[in-house]
Amino acid sequence: MLGQIGDLTCCAHCTGLGTAELIARRRLLKAAVFAPPDGPGRARAAGWAVPPHGRAVYPGGVLTGTVVDARPHILAIRRAGREERLAMMPSTRAWKGGQVDPIALKTGDRVVVRLDPLRRGVAERVWANIGRVTGVIAERDRESIVVDAGKMKGSRVIVIPSRAASRIQVRFPRLEPGYLIDVIGLRDGGVIEGLIPATSQPAYSADQVPRPPQALGPALDRIGGSATWHEPAGEPDDVEGVAYPLFDPEPGCAEEPSRGLGCVRMPYLSVGSLLEVRNECTGSSCVLPVTGCAAVARLFCDRCVTCGTSPRGRVADLALASFVALGGELERGCFNATIAVGR
Amino acid sequence: MTMHGMTGLVNDLREVQAPVLAAMLLGACATKFSRVLRAGSLEAGLGPTELFPLPLRRPAAMLVCAVECALGIALTITAPAAARSGTGALDGSAADGARIAATAFFLVAMSALIELRGRRPDVGCGCFGDLSVRPVGARSITRSALLAVAALASIGGPGLQLPPPGRGAAVLLACLGVEFLIIVLLSPEVGETLLRLGYAEPCELRSIPVRHTLAALRRSSHWRRQASVITSDVPADMWRELCWRYVTYPGRLDGADADVVFAVQMKQRRPAIQSAVVPRETVAVPGETGAPGAGKAAADLPPGVVPLSAMPISKAL
Repeated sequence: MLGQIGDLTCCAHCTGLGTAELIARRRLLKAAVFAPPDGPGRARAAGWAVPPHGRAVYPGGVLTGTVVDARPHILAIRRAGREERLAMMPSTRAWKGGQVDPIALKTGDRVVVRLDPLRRGVAERVWANIGRVTGVIAERDRESIVVDAGKMKGSRVIVIPSRAASRIQVRFPRLEPGYLIDVIGLRDGGVIEGLIPATSQPAYSADQVPRPPQALGPALDRIGGSATWHEPAGEPDDVEGVAYPLFDPEPGCAEEPSRGLGCVRMPYLSVGSLLEVRNECTGSSCVLPVTGCAAVARLFCDRCVTCGTSPRGRVADLALASFVALGGELERGCFNATIAVGR
Repeated sequence: MTMHGMTGLVNDLREVQAPVLAAMLLGACATKFSRVLRAGSLEAGLGPTELFPLPLRRPAAMLVCAVECALGIALTITAPAAARSGTGALDGSAADGARIAATAFFLVAMSALIELRGRRPDVGCGCFGDLSVRPVGARSITRSALLAVAALASIGGPGLQLPPPGRGAAVLLACLGVEFLIIVLLSPEVGETLLRLGYAEPCELRSIPVRHTLAALRRSSHWRRQASVITSDVPADMWRELCWRYVTYPGRLDGADADVVFAVQMKQRRPAIQSAVVPRETVAVPGETGAPGAGKAAADLPPGVVPLSAMPISKAL
């Protein structure tokens, strides 16, 4: 469990009036209902109103934006209507469909930058135009694959170039409707050029997901598994948070693909619950709010092998910025993770 | 123990290997079959079949299951001394044939597990269907090797017969117990089986319909206590976290808007219920202008960090 009642230690800037308000409100109400009353029928709530902010656990920072200028030592990006200039050192690594020299970045590229934790304003890692499609194959023709990524994300289109076809097909031998797919590649508008298989295709189809293993008692304090990332749907790239695979089936997860529990034994949570996510490969961790439902993640019973072999199943689907901030490498698709639910 | 006694014990141990192996093989076949029945398909992934090209996985899974079943039956019916000394189909060569085949099977299985561990470290061995979900480890491989040795040792052994009562039988039973213990220690499936036998659904996973929650709430003293504050019968918000479902209703307290919040335990009968009334103005947004500590969080950030933008309202609600 978390040491406190869930400090948003990594989300000091999740301060919009949308989800942040909802999170604050639910936290307040939850705290009030268990607080000792200070008057007839009234909770002593004012002290719970503002969740305490901790210092961000991750030492660097994450920037997203559009490349304005890329020179051997300078990367200028535009974000939120203003220009940021970042230094690029010889150690700066860049990805654009594969590892490339940072000068291969072009004006207009959509980038995610992880900043060097030790040097101010220095880019440590840059990913350009990276995209990901995770879901159930809906249609396939000779040129493209249409993937159902969930009710909220809708349909996505993947085009697999011939140079990556064999690599994809080795890990995803069944590119047929009803089977799962998870591919990372280069985004070009609404189409992803699939280049890297993010996992191995499960042997089962989407409607035959195995049941979660059973275990004694409420031993759900810490759950190991795989943490993946997703592209924000219709939202800025730099939103933070985590999509959680198991919502209460009664009020309903809008993305509910099936009534099954998936293959990980997890407690029910809702938007506004707090989740501590720990990257077992780097040791970094942070507390993030649950901002949505990752119903599709529940269909995957895979393991992450970024460092050792994780327990089976996906336990968190992080927003792109949160994944990078926790030390994840986007092109790898996952990191071995442990989650704990904030009480 | 005399030399003669020792030889007798070794022969007795060789005798009992056939039924031990038969039990393992039939158990493995049965658990695989039950998994197939539950999943409704043979394609639910059965360990080493993952090593085969896709078109061959289904036939390979069927073949493994059929071979296990056939070997288990063959070892069982050729184990008794009467069968071994018989004539026709059930003679000594039939018994040895079954045991040689079992030896070959376990050697192949051991090799397949080693290969599977190297190429797909995330996949369980599938030896006992759903129970073998942990990634292949040294224990599973050693178990296959041990069973291969047991099958090898049983070749040419005498037929199975009850030992005469006395010290010899006790020693044989003790040796058999040790062998079972070793197999148990080498079987990751045992832990999984014990867990399933003692399973009780924890409240974090319990699924209880909302109507039950609301019905329990309406019957509670907390509801009656807050009824004068509540201004609508329709919940304004409802969410679930771990063992509690939270329900809020709009209300008025001292002429001001308020939220009446109830926490209802996820329990079928007589759930615990808590309630509180929270004035609306106490709901503050972290980081909002004017909220305590809003600027401090940004000031605490290390150099080079540019604030991320706000999160929008999730559409999942």
